[in-house]
Amino acid sequence: MNREKIGTITDLMKSRLTKPMQYYLDLCTRCGLCYDSCHVYYGIPKREYTPVGRAETLRRIFRKYFRPSGRFFPYWGEARELDDRAMEEVREAAFSCTGCRRCMVNCPFGIDTGYLMTMAKLMLIGNETAPEELVILADSAVEKGKSIGEFKEGFKSVVGDLEKIVQEKLGRSSPDGLIPMDNGGASVLYAGLAGAHSIVNPAVIFNAAGESWSLSFFEAVNFGAFLGDPEKMQFIANRIVKEAIQLGVKELVITECGTAYRIQRHMLGTLPFKVSSIVEVIDRYLREGRIKVKAGAISEPVTYHDPCQLGRNGGVFEEPRRIIGELCTDFREMTPNREHNWCCGGGGGLVALDNEKFRVQSGLVKRDQISATGAKLVVTACENCVSQLDTIKSGYGMDVEVKYLTELVADNLLL
Amino acid sequence: MSEEIKVDATMDLKGLKCPLPIVRVSKKVKDEMQVGQVLVAETTDPGAHADFPAWAKTSGNEIVKVEKGDVSKFYIKKLK
Repeated sequence: MNREKIGTITDLMKSRLTKPMQYYLDLCTRCGLCYDSCHVYYGIPKREYTPVGRAETLRRIFRKYFRPSGRFFPYWGEARELDDRAMEEVREAAFSCTGCRRCMVNCPFGIDTGYLMTMAKLMLIGNETAPEELVILADSAVEKGKSIGEFKEGFKSVVGDLEKIVQEKLGRSSPDGLIPMDNGGASVLYAGLAGAHSIVNPAVIFNAAGESWSLSFFEAVNFGAFLGDPEKMQFIANRIVKEAIQLGVKELVITECGTAYRIQRHMLGTLPFKVSSIVEVIDRYLREGRIKVKAGAISEPVTYHDPCQLGRNGGVFEEPRRIIGELCTDFREMTPNREHNWCCGGGGGLVALDNEKFRVQSGLVKRDQISATGAKLVVTACENCVSQLDTIKSGYGMDVEVKYLTELVADNLLL
Repeated sequence: MSEEIKVDATMDLKGLKCPLPIVRVSKKVKDEMQVGQVLVAETTDPGAHADFPAWAKTSGNEIVKVEKGDVSKFYIKKLK
């Protein structure tokens, strides 16, 4: 690795050396409590798949370039020079971590490995070894933001074709259309994903509640965050913020995507509108009597998987449980749950990578948790989690069905 | 009369969850297609109608034809 590349990477590290980052990099007693917090280590018990193992990969490089002990006494300071091998280890650390932050909850010092890995991901961008899949996805999302005028009509036309599905589910039509877009004066802007399910089911629910809403032209998911590129993350998030401001909405509602929710709700500072998850909105509609569901419609055993970014990192725990509680007669909690729930292994952009064997292995604890409940239906509220739970299901041959919460509600509305 | 496009490969992306359609198409075009060849990507995602053109623009490839339907078909020509 040449000096110029080392300079690029260390400059990027320096750009992320906030006070919390320095605290996390300097402070670790290696007590090892985090070992048993990580779903990856549970499935693949190797040191490199522990939170402290990942953090130490980064810390050794940090000490070499940012601490006198590592610079002048590298052996004593356990420092490591940047080279291709070191960067391979940084990549393995960064992209074996989903950023679920379960280790942080269990760390006596609250060391946030997910935050540390944002520095690791930035170093990979500087080294030009970030996963190509995520670079492509982030660049496409940025391009979509820059040239949305070129793509609007094509998207609008296909969304129009979904009207008939919404009509069938809802049992009625509307002269103004059931999936409004560019709807100035709407109260709600809803940001979905590329798949029809993320548009149709919420559309049924919004219409049933009599909501004044508009579908966003942009997908909620933020590939800039998965890639670890702060500028792209901000640009991708701001596409939706700008659209919300332009339409003058009071509330931005985020689809079942944990990362999108956490970024739009918790990482953009103060916005001139409220940001909610579709899960919170459904719960609100139910409590206000704006929608009704078929009480106790589902009698088979059901469990709920808390998506890490919606639950532990987003604070949405009780809303999904209240919704499921109205619909299901045999709800069974996983153990542990809520802020201590195990990550399924699909976050952090990992579902986009060519790593299915790794994800099946790292999903072992989730398999064990689900199996212990005896549930036949696993409900969750995050696209990445649904993908990963499906991978776990087929990887271990589990006899369960995985469903989105919105799908469960839309299929069981009293209309 | 429109000129018939010679198709070199077809990919079934129906029902795949976010973000796999773009990931799979991108990998296929990069690793398995020759410059000038055409891939037909079949998808049920409405979002693909904005996502695929944006991807083509950033990756320097061309969408030469789109057949819209319950299953939409994107004819993607590898340009580089």
